Amino acid sequence: MAKPTISKLNMDLHLDNYIEGAREMADAIITNIVFIGQVPAPTFEESERVNLFMERLSGFQVNECTTDSFNNPIGIIHGRSRKKPPIFVVAHMDTAFSKEVDHNYTVEPNAITGAGISDNALGVGILVSLPGILRHLNMAFDSDIVLAGVTQSIGKGNLRGIRHLLKSWATPIRGAICIESGELGRLNFYSDAMIRCEIVCCIPSTQRNSGQHQFNAILVLNQVINRILDSASPLAPTAQIIFGTISGGLKHGQIPDKACLGLELRSDSGKTVGRLYKEIKAVLEALSSELSIDIDLSTISNVRAARLGEDHPLVRTAVSTMQKLGIDPAMGPSESELSIFLSHNIPALTLGVSRGTGYQKTHATMQIDPIFKGIAQIVGLLKAIDGGVCDA
Amino acid sequence: MHSRWMENNTFHYAQFSDLKTLVRVKEQRALKISLCLPTLNEAKTIAKEIVIFKSELMSRYPLIDEIVVIDSGSTDKTREIAEEFGADVYLASEILPHLEPYMGKGENLWKALYITSGDIIVYLDADIKNIHHRFAYGLIGPLLLNSGIKFSKAFYDRPIATVGHKIRPTGGGRVTELVIRPLFSLFFPDLTQFLQPLSGEYAGYRDIFEKISFPIGYGIETSMILDIYQNWGLDVMAQVDLEKRVHRNQDTKSLGKMSFAILKTFINRIEKLGLIDLKGPLHDRLIQYNASGIDIASDILDIKGYERPPMIELAEYVEKYKSDKGSSL
Repeated sequence: MAKPTISKLNMDLHLDNYIEGAREMADAIITNIVFIGQVPAPTFEESERVNLFMERLSGFQVNECTTDSFNNPIGIIHGRSRKKPPIFVVAHMDTAFSKEVDHNYTVEPNAITGAGISDNALGVGILVSLPGILRHLNMAFDSDIVLAGVTQSIGKGNLRGIRHLLKSWATPIRGAICIESGELGRLNFYSDAMIRCEIVCCIPSTQRNSGQHQFNAILVLNQVINRILDSASPLAPTAQIIFGTISGGLKHGQIPDKACLGLELRSDSGKTVGRLYKEIKAVLEALSSELSIDIDLSTISNVRAARLGEDHPLVRTAVSTMQKLGIDPAMGPSESELSIFLSHNIPALTLGVSRGTGYQKTHATMQIDPIFKGIAQIVGLLKAIDGGVCDA
Repeated sequence: MHSRWMENNTFHYAQFSDLKTLVRVKEQRALKISLCLPTLNEAKTIAKEIVIFKSELMSRYPLIDEIVVIDSGSTDKTREIAEEFGADVYLASEILPHLEPYMGKGENLWKALYITSGDIIVYLDADIKNIHHRFAYGLIGPLLLNSGIKFSKAFYDRPIATVGHKIRPTGGGRVTELVIRPLFSLFFPDLTQFLQPLSGEYAGYRDIFEKISFPIGYGIETSMILDIYQNWGLDVMAQVDLEKRVHRNQDTKSLGKMSFAILKTFINRIEKLGLIDLKGPLHDRLIQYNASGIDIASDILDIKGYERPPMIELAEYVEKYKSDKGSSL
C-alpha cells in the first residue's frame, strides 16, 4: 500500500481540525440556525429575515456588511490580497412557508425541527456562522470571502436575487459555493436546462351561465395532460416533463370553472426544453380553439443548462474532500443559484450540510451532528479555491 | 396613584441591546448574574433556551455567569437534555433535603436562591417557544443601568401557538384581567400599572429576593410584587416590554386552579396588612366540576398555599453566603 503523502496527511489533519473547530462553535451555530429559521421568509417577503441576517453578520464582525439594491444581504471578510478576485458563498433566504405557519423551532440533543429548516434555514444559519467559525479556526484567505444571502430564489422568485447580484457585481469572481441545508453528500456541479410553467384553464362566464353543457376545468386539464403525453416528441434520454402540481375547484358538487397545472420541463439541452415548450404551446392552442375556452401557458422560471466537467479541479477536489470526511458524494443537477454562477462561467458547486427528514413539511427535522462535517467540507473547499483550484 | 411610575419605570428591551455596555457595567460593579430556569417536563423547549443563552450571553457577551435548572421531578428527559446542553441541573427535592419537599414553581425559585451564586438572579419560564436572549438582557438592563431599580418584570404581546401550527395573534392574560387587575384596583391601585403582573419572567437583586417569602405555587408572582411594594416601594420596580412571547394556551379549569392559588395568596397578604378582617380561615380545596353526558362529577383539588420563609432566615443559607461572600450578610 502506498504511503500517504505529507500534503494528504496535512489535508486530513486540517479537515479534522475544521470539524472540531465547528463543533466547538455548536451553540452559536445552532442559535443562528434557530434565529434565522424562526423568522418567516416566504418568497418576496424576506425583508425581516434579511434584517436579521445583517444584524447577525455585523455582530460577528465581518469587515463590510450591506444589502445590494435587490435587498440581498452581503457580508465581506477581507482577504490579504486585494488582487485576487473574491470567493462567493451563498444561500437562498426564502422558504415555501407563509408567515401564518408556526416557525418556532424545537432543539433536541441531536436535531432541530421546524418549518423551513431543510430549505434553507440551516444553510443560511451556517452562512451567517461562517465568520465566527473562520475566526475561531484562525483562518485567513487571500481572496475576499463574500457571504451573500440571496432573495427571491425559489418558485416564482425565479432566482432573481442571485441573477441581480451577479449582474451587478462589477469584478470577476474566483469561485462559488452554494449552501443548501441537505443532504450531506449532495454535490451539484451542473444544471439542466429547465422551464417551469403553469397551465391555467378558465371556463368563460358566458358558458357558465348559458345553461348549455358546461366544461369542467379539471377534466380539461386531464385532456391537456393526455395530449401532451401523446403529442410531445419522443424525449431525449435526459429530458423530463414533470407534472408537479394541480389545483382547482371549490367543493365536491360544483363543476370547477378554473384549474391550474404546474409542470417543469428539463433536459441537459436547452434546445430540447425549448422544443418541448413549443410543442406544449401548440397542443394548448389546438385544444383551446377546439373547445372555445381559455387555456393559458405561462412561464414561471427558467434556467439554462450549464456545467462544470466531472474532471474540473473544483469538482475533483470536492469529491476527494468529501471522501476524506467519510461522505459519499451524491452527484446530480441543480437548477438553483448554481446554474446562474455557471452561466456566468464562474466555477461553482452546491453542497448540502446535514441530513434530515420531512423535507418541505412544517415538522422538517435536520440532524445536528452531521453539520460539523458539512461545515468542514465548506471550509476545506474555500481553502482549496483560495489556493487556486479554480484559477486554471 | 403614583402617576409617574409608568412613564419612568417602563422600558423596552431594545434600550438595553448594547450588550457590551451591560457587560462593562456588570464587570465594573463586580457583579455576578445567575439565570434560573424552573422546570417540570419541559423537554421540548429547554434545550433551545439553554443553547441560546449560552451562545449569546455567556460565550459572545459574558453577561450571565451560570445557568441553573431547578426541576420539580420531570418524567420526560428535561434534566438529561439540560445537562447535555451544559446547564447546572438540580432536582428541587435534593436541595436542602432536610426540609419537607413541596412541588411548585415558587419552591424551585426559592431553592434557586440557595443554589445560585449571582448577585442578580434572572428567573425565566422554560416553556417559551420563541425564546431569545432579549428575555434575559431586557430584564437585566434596568437593574444594571438604573441604580434605584432592584426588580424588573416582563410584559409582552401574548400570541398563542395552536394545533395545526398556526399562530393566533392575540390571547392569554385572562387571569390578569379577571382576577389580578380588579384586586389591585381595589386594594393597591399603584400596582395596576404593571401590564402583566403574572408574567413568569423577572429579575432582581439577591438582597431583595432573599428577604421575601415565596409561595410554592402559582401565587409567587403576586406575592413577589406585593412584598417588594410593601417593603421597598414602587420605585424599585420596573417593567420591560419584551415584545412577543409564544406560550402554550391553558384551558379554563387550569386557569381556575391558578386563580385559586393567587386569590389565596392575595387575601392572606391583605389580611396581614389589616386591609380586611377574615372571620375564619380560608378553605384549601378548589372544587370544580366535570360534565360527561348527563353525569356531573366534582373534581376536588387541595391547594394548601404553603409559603417558604425569606431565605435569609435559613441558617444554612446565611452560613453558605458568609463563606462565599465574606461578611457581607
